[in-house]
Amino acid sequence: MPDVAPLLSIQNLVTRFKSVERGKWITAVDDVSISLAPGEMVGLVGESGCGKSTLGRSIVGLEKPQSGSVIYDGVDLSTLSGRALRQKRRAIQYVFQDPYASLNDRQTIGETIAEALIIIGINDKAEHARLIHTLLDQVGLPASLAERYPRELSGGQRQRVAIARSLAVEPRVLICDEPVSALDLSIRAQVMNLFLKLHKELNVACLFIAHDLALVRQATSRTYVMYLGRIIEEGRSDELYARPSHPYTQALLASIPSADPRIEANRPPPSIFGEIPSPTNPPSGCRFRTRCPQAMEICAATPPEAVRLTPSHSARCVIAGDIYQKNKAADHVEPVPA
Amino acid sequence: MSANSLLQAKDLSIDLFTARAALRPVDRVSYSVDAGETLAIVGESGSGKTVLNFAPLGLMPTGVVADLHGSLRFGGTELVGLSAKALRNFRGGQIGTIFQDPMSALNPAMRIGRQIAEVGELHLGLTASQAENRALELLKVVRMSDPEARLRQYPHELSGGLRQRAMIAIAIAGEPKLLIADEPTTALDVTVQAQIIALLKDLQRRLHMAIVLITHDMGVVASIASKVAVMYAGRVVEYGGVEQVLLAPRHPYTGGLIAALPRPEDAPGSLFRGLPGAPPILGAPQPGCPFAPRCPLVEEICSELRPPLVTASSGTAAACHVVNDVRYREVAHA
Repeated sequence: MPDVAPLLSIQNLVTRFKSVERGKWITAVDDVSISLAPGEMVGLVGESGCGKSTLGRSIVGLEKPQSGSVIYDGVDLSTLSGRALRQKRRAIQYVFQDPYASLNDRQTIGETIAEALIIIGINDKAEHARLIHTLLDQVGLPASLAERYPRELSGGQRQRVAIARSLAVEPRVLICDEPVSALDLSIRAQVMNLFLKLHKELNVACLFIAHDLALVRQATSRTYVMYLGRIIEEGRSDELYARPSHPYTQALLASIPSADPRIEANRPPPSIFGEIPSPTNPPSGCRFRTRCPQAMEICAATPPEAVRLTPSHSARCVIAGDIYQKNKAADHVEPVPA
Repeated sequence: MSANSLLQAKDLSIDLFTARAALRPVDRVSYSVDAGETLAIVGESGSGKTVLNFAPLGLMPTGVVADLHGSLRFGGTELVGLSAKALRNFRGGQIGTIFQDPMSALNPAMRIGRQIAEVGELHLGLTASQAENRALELLKVVRMSDPEARLRQYPHELSGGLRQRAMIAIAIAGEPKLLIADEPTTALDVTVQAQIIALLKDLQRRLHMAIVLITHDMGVVASIASKVAVMYAGRVVEYGGVEQVLLAPRHPYTGGLIAALPRPEDAPGSLFRGLPGAPPILGAPQPGCPFAPRCPLVEEICSELRPPLVTASSGTAAACHVVNDVRYREVAHA
C-alpha cells in the first residue's frame, strides 16, 4: 500500500450481470478492493473474462456496481447524484482499447476534443482553438490534425486523439483499458512512452488494465493480478514479477514465450491446463483450484485469505508463504517476455 | 533453397484490384518450406503477410481481384494460374488453414462434429458415418476435453481455446502436408496460447506437416519456427534460420522489432524502446527501400534503389544497402 492517502480507493466492489439462464447471476467483479495514490501508475492484469474491464468500467460508472464503494478524493461517489456526481467523476477518465471504435467518424478531431471542452464550460471558440492546439501538442500530434477526420488517421494517431480528449477535462485519474493492444508492435512503444511522459508532466494517476504482463511490469510501480472476479495477488511490480507467490501468477508469467529460441527449445510443457471457468458457477473455495497444479483438499473448502508476504505484497493462496520462501531460495530466473 | 522443398515461392508478386484502388501488397517475394519444418512469416499489419499466403489459395474477400505473378510451387504443382476448381482440391485437403479468429471462421449454425466430418467426406471420400467417427478421433488428437459431447456442440458453446482446437481439427482432417496458420494465438490468452503452440508442435511431429505460421509475436516465432521471413511493406527484408534472425538480426527493421520487446532488466518506469514513425501504407510499389523513412542507418541510395536480398556468411539474407556494405556491417549489429 502506498504511504500517502489514496486518491482513488475501491472498496469491496461487486458487479453482477444477469445470466441468460433465468434466476442466475454472473458475478464479474467479486469483492474487489484496490487503491491508487495521487500520480501513481498501477497495473491490473489477468486473462480475458477475469473481470478486469468490468472493474474499470464500474469505477467510471459505465456499469452499475451491486455493492461496495468507489471513493474518490475522500468522497464516496455512490452518495452523490446528478450534477454533483458528474462533476466529481469528471476527474476519472477512461481510455478505450479500440481507437477505431471510440472516436466518432463524423466529427473532426477538433470537434471531438471541443465537445469535452464544452462539457467543462468552455464555450469561447478562440479558447477552444488554443486548448485543442495545446492538447494535440501534449500527445505529440501536429495542430493541423484538428481539421481531419478519424478515418484519415492511423491507429496510433487515433489512440493519441482519444488520450487528448480524455485529458481535455483535466483528469487526475486515467483508467486505460488495453490502450495499446490494438496497435502495431512498433507503435506500442511510442504510445506507452506517451503515457509515461504524461504521467511525469501532469502527475495523473493511471490504472493500466492489460493482459500483456511485460508491458505492465515496465510501466507501473504496483500490480494487481485478477482471476475470475477476485484479486489474487498484489504487490510492487518489480517484486511481484521477480517473486510471484500465487500459482496462477507463476503460471501466467511462465506462459509468456521468450524471444530467444535457445530458451524456447528447452521450455517445459505448460503447467496449467484448460481455461478460465465460467463465472456463472465459479468453483468453491479458491477459484483457481480447478486449474492449479498444486491444489489440495483444503482449497475447495474456503476461499483463501490474503497472505501478507511483505508490507506491500500479498497473495490469496494457502501456500503463498511457502512459494515466496522457495522463490527467495532459488535464484529465480525470469523468462524474457516477448 | 533445396530442390525438394514442399512449398517454394519465387519472385511472387500479388496485385489486388478493388472497386476503388489497385495495390501491390506482395512484391517479388521468395521463400521455401521443406516437409516437416516451420516457417514463420513476421510482419506488422499491412506488411502483406496474410495476402501472401491466402491470395494464391483463392481466399480473398469477394469483390477483390488478385493478380499473381511469379511462381509458387506446392509439391510438384504450380499454384499461380491454377483454376479455381483445381485449387479447391488443395484447400482443406493437402493444404490446411487456421485463421486468427475461430469464431468467425467456424460455421455458427453447424455442429462441431459435422464441420470436421465434411472435410473427410470431401477430401478423403469417406462415408458420413466413417467421417463422423474420424471427427471424434480428431477431437481426441487435438486433446479436446469430453470429445463425445463436443461433437454435438455449436461453436458458440465453446471457449476461445476450444474453438481454436476445433479449427485445428478441421485443418488437419484432410491429412495436410502443409498447414497455414494465420495468427493462430493472437486472440487467445497467454496460458491458452502456450497450450495451442505445444499442440501444434506435437501434431507437426506426429503428422510430419510443414507449417507456415503468420504472426507478429517474436515469442511465438522463437517457440515454434525453424525459419523466419520478416516482411515489411510487401517485401521480405530478412530471411534465415530462427536463431540467426532472432539473436543476430541483420536488417535494421528486424533489429528494431526485437529491441522493442520489453526485457526483465528494464527498470519499472523506464522508457520503452520502439521504432520511430509509422508503418507504411499499402499503395503503389516504391522505387527505393520502404523502410528508409524510419531507418536509423539510412543513406542517400536507400530512397533511390530497391535493395536486393543478399545472403551473408551467417546464412541469413537481408535486403539492406547499408548492412550489405562491408564497411557498415559492425554498426548494424550494435
